[in-house]
Amino acid sequence: MIKLDRRNFLKGAGAGSATCALATMLPGSLAALEKEPLKAVGKEVASICEMCSTRCPISARVVDGKNVFISGNKEAKSFGGKVCARGGAGHSLLYDPQRIVNPLKRVGERGEGKWAEISWDEAYEMMSTNLNRIKREHGPEAVAFSSKKGSLSGHFFHLAKAFGSPNTFTHGSLCPGAYVIAAKSMFGTKLKRDLGNSKYIINFGHNIYEGINMSETRGMMKAQSERGAKLVVFEPRFSVVADKADEWHAVRPGTDVAVALALCHVLITDKLYDQAFVERYVVGFDAFAAEVKAYTPEWAEGITDVKAKDIRRIAYELAAAAPHAVVDFGHRATFTTEEFDMRRAIFAANVLIGNIERKGGLYLGKKAKTYNKLAGETVAPKLAKPGVEGMPKPTAKRIDQMDKQYTMVWKNGGVYQSILAATLEAKPYQLRGWVMSRTNPMQTMTDRAKVLEALKKMEFVAVCDVYISETAAYADLILPESTYLERDEEIADKSGKNPAYYVRQRVVETIGNTKPSWQIFKEVGDALGLSKFYPWENMETLQLAQMNRDGKALRHIREKGYVSYGKPLMLREPSMVAKFIDTYANARTPDDDGTYASALKFKTPSGKIELSSAAVEAFAPGRGVIQYRDAPLKRADELYFIQGKVAVHTNGATHNVPILANLMADNAVWIHPVTAGRLGINHGDAIRLTSSVGSETSYAMVTPGIRQDTVFAYMGFGSKNKELIRASGKGLHCGNLLPDSTAPVVGMNLHTTGVKVEKV
Amino acid sequence: MNKRYVMVHDENKCIGCQACNVACRSENGTPEGVTRLQVRVEGPFGDAPNLHFKYHRVSCQQCEDAPCVKVCPTGAAYVGEDGIVTIKEDKCVGCMYCVAACPYKVRFVNPETKATDKCNFCKDTRLARGELPACVTVCPTDALTFGDANEPDSEVAKLLNTKPSYQDKTHLGTKPRVYRIPTKRGGIES
Amino acid sequence: MNNIWGDMAQYDPVTWNWVIAVYLFMAGLSAGSVLIGIGMRWYSKDNKTESPILKAAAIVGPVAISLGLACLVFDLTKPFHFWLILINYNFQSVMAIGVLALLAYSPLGIAYGLIVLRDELPKWGLGFLSPVAEMLLGWRKAIEVLLFILAIGVGAYTGFLISAMNAYPMLNTAVLPALFLVSGLSAGAAANSVVALLMFKVDSHDNELSRMHALELPVMATEIMFLFMLFCALYFKGGAAALALASLTTGVWAGVFWIGVVGIGFGVPLVSMLMPAATRHTRGAMLMVACSGLTGVLALRHFILYAGQSYIY
Repeated sequence: MIKLDRRNFLKGAGAGSATCALATMLPGSLAALEKEPLKAVGKEVASICEMCSTRCPISARVVDGKNVFISGNKEAKSFGGKVCARGGAGHSLLYDPQRIVNPLKRVGERGEGKWAEISWDEAYEMMSTNLNRIKREHGPEAVAFSSKKGSLSGHFFHLAKAFGSPNTFTHGSLCPGAYVIAAKSMFGTKLKRDLGNSKYIINFGHNIYEGINMSETRGMMKAQSERGAKLVVFEPRFSVVADKADEWHAVRPGTDVAVALALCHVLITDKLYDQAFVERYVVGFDAFAAEVKAYTPEWAEGITDVKAKDIRRIAYELAAAAPHAVVDFGHRATFTTEEFDMRRAIFAANVLIGNIERKGGLYLGKKAKTYNKLAGETVAPKLAKPGVEGMPKPTAKRIDQMDKQYTMVWKNGGVYQSILAATLEAKPYQLRGWVMSRTNPMQTMTDRAKVLEALKKMEFVAVCDVYISETAAYADLILPESTYLERDEEIADKSGKNPAYYVRQRVVETIGNTKPSWQIFKEVGDALGLSKFYPWENMETLQLAQMNRDGKALRHIREKGYVSYGKPLMLREPSMVAKFIDTYANARTPDDDGTYASALKFKTPSGKIELSSAAVEAFAPGRGVIQYRDAPLKRADELYFIQGKVAVHTNGATHNVPILANLMADNAVWIHPVTAGRLGINHGDAIRLTSSVGSETSYAMVTPGIRQDTVFAYMGFGSKNKELIRASGKGLHCGNLLPDSTAPVVGMNLHTTGVKVEKV
Repeated sequence: MNKRYVMVHDENKCIGCQACNVACRSENGTPEGVTRLQVRVEGPFGDAPNLHFKYHRVSCQQCEDAPCVKVCPTGAAYVGEDGIVTIKEDKCVGCMYCVAACPYKVRFVNPETKATDKCNFCKDTRLARGELPACVTVCPTDALTFGDANEPDSEVAKLLNTKPSYQDKTHLGTKPRVYRIPTKRGGIES
Repeated sequence: MNNIWGDMAQYDPVTWNWVIAVYLFMAGLSAGSVLIGIGMRWYSKDNKTESPILKAAAIVGPVAISLGLACLVFDLTKPFHFWLILINYNFQSVMAIGVLALLAYSPLGIAYGLIVLRDELPKWGLGFLSPVAEMLLGWRKAIEVLLFILAIGVGAYTGFLISAMNAYPMLNTAVLPALFLVSGLSAGAAANSVVALLMFKVDSHDNELSRMHALELPVMATEIMFLFMLFCALYFKGGAAALALASLTTGVWAGVFWIGVVGIGFGVPLVSMLMPAATRHTRGAMLMVACSGLTGVLALRHFILYAGQSYIY
């Protein structure tokens, strides 16, 4: 990391100052502005999508000053030059009359929906007055800063750090956190999936055919359609991935962990696992094997409704296809409070078949440093992480730092929902301010009523967003960010099996009075008196610093949009290692078996894969060894309520985008015909779902594609604030039915609960 | 030899994500409320656990014997030299005969031009620039293939010769040029 | 699966609506009226007087077709561009052929009207047209024959227009043009009665009127037979075509058919034939029967158009 201060930055700053073509200062949302044709920045610009967090490389072209035709950037091979419906609809967000293009301040009660336009200076003054007052009276830790990770969130958290608050949160505990922590506890780092080369894929409700992750979706489809891969899906609902699977097992919601453990049981008991691999790379196997003895397929059948003989057969098929087989560790890790052990059990199954760093298995990302070292030359430029010297160290502890079991969560996004207890009950201490950027907890956090209460209790709420989202509706100050099509950002690392970088570049001139969030937070920093922590002036100097002042390499990345360096490499795959040493004369000498197996190291205390972890046992007693724990998720007289992703929307973010709202505005509830018959419900009837924390009405979609004891709704709908005209009041609000719950060790929200269903 | 442009929609690869729907709208400036292209996810059919969805692409079939061309009184609906069924907007009076006559119901009245409109394989936008139609360009799972079936080396020709395919409403003799590869569950067994 | 592909309103198979149903009615009415008027004149061999039936036809013919054409133009999505259809022709299209036929039929109908009503023109303040009428009188026979032939064309062509669409099993049938022609005759006769009775104050026991009435039963019988053939064809075709028979039993159009077409259109005239002659031949009764006939034909056009478009192959 380059230590930079103002002097260094100004020295390196060769490029001009940041240009931000401000439109005339007209009030209101975009609707109030004259409809001007879009001003393209170039003929066809390579950039990065931000309609979801997959962040696919895109290529965008302005069509007749009206639309932007967005397709994929062909330079990124695994993305195939493709985009999904949301990516293609980026321009619909860009020119949505409902977009907020001027800072707004609340003039009525919080949530009343009365706003006044203010200037950026006034907005910054509001930030400084309120935040500095809270800092003075209660300490900077009384302000929480939350943002989804990625894009410009680094600048946001930089602000939080400069301000001195330790209470920074990403959305990790609301969605993917558990598998990251499970992976880090076992491997010391995150792992990636090589679905495209897999011959046998076991999938626990990871619906990449609706919750599209472009390279993984394409990879798995190729594996299925061209390479004869077999896909087995465990999911309570007949989703699109279940439809494309060779086998679909309607597992009981939240019980996937039992299936994963039973698979491990069969692999170990029937000696199907890769003993050599385990011996060489794994510690804690014996403790795990002892625990797993009791987890027979018959035991699992009773819990999960998946037939024992199927589990056994699948374990055998998995072993037969090993090592070019994978058990997908999923993404949204919120099915049960036992997510830590569920995801670890899944990783364990992969470890047992020895697919780490094998084609079709799991692998560690190869960033420039590792790759260059193995290659013996500088194949890829290293991406520097410009930092600032002398950042303040917060004195207070984080609000989620009181419970030691969340040790791994503190550095992996934090327990986001701990903001609620800190605000409502002053546990462990009172939070008074909440600054948010690119996050919508009213939709994405569980227990909407509680989130609402917390927002109302705050002394100051500031939200940076492009819409008045359901959360922004309760803000005191709204800071309008430019959309991703209007802004430049730092170079991002998209390394996979070999290093790759890509960069977001503006496609059209800025619309309205918006700014990219890096600029907003820098100027907030200035207003807060923290200028000394912001030595950079514009995005170009930052990019140059990232590239270690290598202007040529920077220009190359900006021209192509996406640059991949070198050839894909997996350390234990002989064919790939052979190609590698062919290409690089000074490459590391391979082992006797023609692989780089000896180079495979894990950043764990033992340096090996920790199937059972002493470190975890230390901060979370009883959790060191993977174990099955009963986790009741509903009462006997209730139905399970589960949610999922749909291909045309992203979480709680896109439901007001015109093109996407026109495709789907409502989320009718999936209910089984037998259950519906019992309740006297017909297809299309209005129904009410009631849980322990809320009640929602919707329409019934009677379908055999769901378990009899379960109902399902796509997530993200039913926003209740009037500012989102296309989304407001349409559909069922999932967060309003889910109770606030925090899973042990991983701190996750829970997305499975029990509901009563009745006809309205 | 004349071109015979065909589109092949592989229902096995199609995941119904509507990327094609959105790309078409963006490239061709289709106004809100109407569409040239939709993919309907129908079902699930069958008895649990052997269920399956059907991914049904709804767009102009570019019939070789097009009813819409036959019935248009002014000749506004015509078949171009490239074999693509197109609409000459300034000849259309909006009598709606073509909309009624289309057995696939894929023609609609464009609220902006007041003339009828439909998918034309991106003839005047992308094809004119030598690019593939918008839908084919963005499909995440490569479910769409487009090309000249008269070229024996083209991808579509190879695809149609190796995989079983079916077409919609062939009993009406329209000879559509959109081919569909059925899902391996349900439909034609391959 | 939830609808994630957007609005489906544009896929409603019912494309043409009531405005077109009214046009179909007007075209059939106009043609039938003219056919009966001229036909009866030829049959009576009376070249001296203009019978009230003929005079009625001379009004109903042109007026109905003009109203119908106005309906057509206003139903276009680009009504101010209607002239495009007059100068561009695709002769594969029944509509284009129909345009040609109507281009000839309409002015001829007006011309014939002037001829037949030449004595009434001054009474209606249209005396300035009398010289025109006198001039056209010389061409009377030719106009009559042409008009008669064109009327058959106009009466049938709407049936051909709709039956040309192979997407709709109920419409794509050989009997539709015949059905439209015959029901047009029925409507024409009824309209001629009404206009003759009301406008030309014809006596309800008038000979011509009675002779026209004698046509009603055979025409109605033929109409019923054609309808029966249409539904039989659907039944025996099976599959999607047979599903169209649901139009007779479900939905609002079943009501329109049984009450409007059968009950009022056929039933009232049939029942009236059971009435004693004295009642039957009162002006009131004749008007009621005629109006019922017209209602029935209008209902038939609506039923065929809407129900027909609702069922696709």
